[in-house]
Amino acid sequence: MFRLSIASAIALSIGAAAHGETFRWASTTDPQSMDPHAVSSTPVLSFLNNVYEGLVRRGKDMSVEPALATEWAPIGNGEGWRFTLRQGVVFHDGATFNADDVIFSYERASSDASDVASWFAPVSEVIKVDEYTVDFMTTDPNPIFPDSIANWMIMDSDWAAANGAKLPAKEAENFATLNANGTGAFVLAQRQPGLKTTLTPHDDWWGEAEHNITSAEFTPIQNPATAVAALLSGDVDLINPVPIQDAARLAQSDGVQVIQGIEARVIMLGFPHAAETLKYTAQAGQPNPFLDVRVRQAVAHAVNVPAILQTIMRGNAEPAWQLVSAPMRGYIDNLEERPAYDVQMAKDLLAEAGYENGFSFGLKCTNDRYLNDESVCQAVVSMLAQIGLTAELDAMPVRNYWPELRSNNMDMFLLGWSPGTFDAEHPIRFIVATDNPEKKLGSWNFGGYSSARIDELLPQIQSEIDDTKRMEMLEEVTRIYQDEVAYVPLYVQPLIWGARDTVSLTQRPDDFLILRWIRIE
Amino acid sequence: MIAFILRRVFQSVIVLLIVGLVAFSMFRFVGDPIENMLGQERTQADVDRLRTQLGLDQPFIVQYLKFLGNAAQGNFGVSYRQGRPVATILAERAPATLELAAVSGTLAVLVGIGMGVFTAIRRNGVASNVIMSLSLVGVSLPTFLIGILLIYLFSVELDLLPSFGRGDTVMVGGWSTGFLTKSGLLALILPSITLGLYQMTLIMRLVRSEMLEVLRQDYIRFARARGLPERVVNFRHALKNTLVPVITVTGLQVGSIIAFAIITETVFQWPGVGLLFINAIQFVDIPVMAAYLMLISVMFVAINLIVDLLYFAIDPRLRIDGRH
Repeated sequence: MFRLSIASAIALSIGAAAHGETFRWASTTDPQSMDPHAVSSTPVLSFLNNVYEGLVRRGKDMSVEPALATEWAPIGNGEGWRFTLRQGVVFHDGATFNADDVIFSYERASSDASDVASWFAPVSEVIKVDEYTVDFMTTDPNPIFPDSIANWMIMDSDWAAANGAKLPAKEAENFATLNANGTGAFVLAQRQPGLKTTLTPHDDWWGEAEHNITSAEFTPIQNPATAVAALLSGDVDLINPVPIQDAARLAQSDGVQVIQGIEARVIMLGFPHAAETLKYTAQAGQPNPFLDVRVRQAVAHAVNVPAILQTIMRGNAEPAWQLVSAPMRGYIDNLEERPAYDVQMAKDLLAEAGYENGFSFGLKCTNDRYLNDESVCQAVVSMLAQIGLTAELDAMPVRNYWPELRSNNMDMFLLGWSPGTFDAEHPIRFIVATDNPEKKLGSWNFGGYSSARIDELLPQIQSEIDDTKRMEMLEEVTRIYQDEVAYVPLYVQPLIWGARDTVSLTQRPDDFLILRWIRIE
Repeated sequence: MIAFILRRVFQSVIVLLIVGLVAFSMFRFVGDPIENMLGQERTQADVDRLRTQLGLDQPFIVQYLKFLGNAAQGNFGVSYRQGRPVATILAERAPATLELAAVSGTLAVLVGIGMGVFTAIRRNGVASNVIMSLSLVGVSLPTFLIGILLIYLFSVELDLLPSFGRGDTVMVGGWSTGFLTKSGLLALILPSITLGLYQMTLIMRLVRSEMLEVLRQDYIRFARARGLPERVVNFRHALKNTLVPVITVTGLQVGSIIAFAIITETVFQWPGVGLLFINAIQFVDIPVMAAYLMLISVMFVAINLIVDLLYFAIDPRLRIDGRH
């Protein structure tokens, strides 16, 4: 009892109202801006999803559901999409939401100053039909357009104009960097960048409130050990992420639960498909063995993914053999079986390709981007050694990593991909399609993989309205990149959150924390 | 005297310029800020445009000169990550670091001197030996380990003190202070011990050895022979004479406390300039890194200058040399 009273006294003194409905959470990164169009990064979009809303939003199972639009339908034969807007919605400052705000937010989000302009690349024109109807015309039929704008948030045009925030400020600050005025379930009450951000419920929100939060406080905590301690001591109610090595211990602690799921991100090995020669080790300058598909297949058979998941991921991740994870749209259910872990088969394949004595090459890897990335690479190195391949590991921080890959300074490399649209088309466009800056294709295809058939299918997939036909084409593409071992997908990265026992919540694969689903008992 | 000061100021400026030059030549190796600033869906054209816009396509010497030119006018640029003026961000964060440094510095000096005197007087006592042994721990354990240990003991196990952050702060003028709220004071305890522990043990060991030296001097024996109370002998005569080197070392350590607050701030999520700097490295936020490094070097240079001037005031020989 005494201990309890001290604990509550401290809880009080930390600035939280002591009753249960104040929700305090911590994550490693502070959202760097409160402007929903200035930065396209998970911390920002996740946080602002509680404050701003889009025409559509993602539900608990990631499916698209109505938000500020009540319904939407294709126009004609795919000339665009018509959205019917919700009536009676008010912004946090009391202004009414209507079509003008949608048009304004489109112009703002698709401007040069915006970081999310690429979402609107397919849009040719946006037309206000009446106060509550808006048409988005697209250059080509676009079946996934409503999905692709689930994180596009609507801002009040008058508020932006009155505060000089008509355009997102990227290299300077403006009013919208530190203030927000959305229609979402929570109002930005206080913003101290890097310190603390406080949200309170929006009393006039159009939806039915599922949560019982009276105030929500976010604090960035960079050091994982500090975050774990803060959760254990009850100074915060939720931390995201929990370091993998602490997950089991946390799960056994009193008063704390560990919430696990899988993320959208697939971790894979990439090959130099376009390089004539190897670039690293004593064999630098010699012909590139990875050009032979049998060598790539050998790598796929040599990597013992179950062992990696068991030891390094401590049973928290799931194996993958496609570039997207199972909850994503366009995942092919019958193509999910990974090549078996089989050292002998791998050796045979190498021998067939003429490398019975193996060879050596460089493996580039990040050490601060994905969960336990460097350990995974070390494991891959030792597994490849079993079939006679000597990989020289070079692990570096991600801020140095991308420039290296962009300059083609690698043989084999590690890559993680999270599809921004939650659709299988996304990784195909960015990491499988032949690099083509003009068409904005293959911009992350560092290995230079190229398949004429996939390049031919991609535009058709992008504009196919019929879902069955679209899935058939996606299946064909998946088969091609799997058969040719364009990449060796390893596993889907886990999501591990830690929370107090009293918190009930929903975890989504996009790693967004949605406050309106949180209840504190 | 004036000539001496001018010469020292001139040397200080040279040191500052060199620090800046080295810093700017190193930024290239920290990584490419553009990668962090643009999302997954950016194109090469976006990258090139932003690079030109930020002047990152120019040689580091040019970038450095531009930085100097702007800094001379009080403009430290805009943070790449936050999109806000660096000067504003630093001003927001500085109070946290300065308050933490002040508390841990005071703690280090008071406790360090107290324990130093105690261990010198009771040279062979059990308590002295225990303190001396423990002080080895303070010198040898890394700061982050001490911090984590304190958090686990006092926050997780005993549930007495907050595990992170600064508690509630109150704005006094433009200064956010944690001294005026209970949670702010509670939050100061663990970080200030963590940060000040090294200096505390350093001062303690220094005071002890100086004190032992002084206690052997003739004038102490003479004071004792005169029958002066032990307290007066120890504190008025002995301690006073040990303080000259202690003040010098303490002065120099003030800079270290502020600069090494980086680790303590990271462990305790203390929202000061050190944490800001760590963040800036992670996101290759060059304007913030540059301003922080210049600020820290200005501080060190200023402290050294003041220490030199103090010597000048204390030591007459320097003044005579100055006339040559």
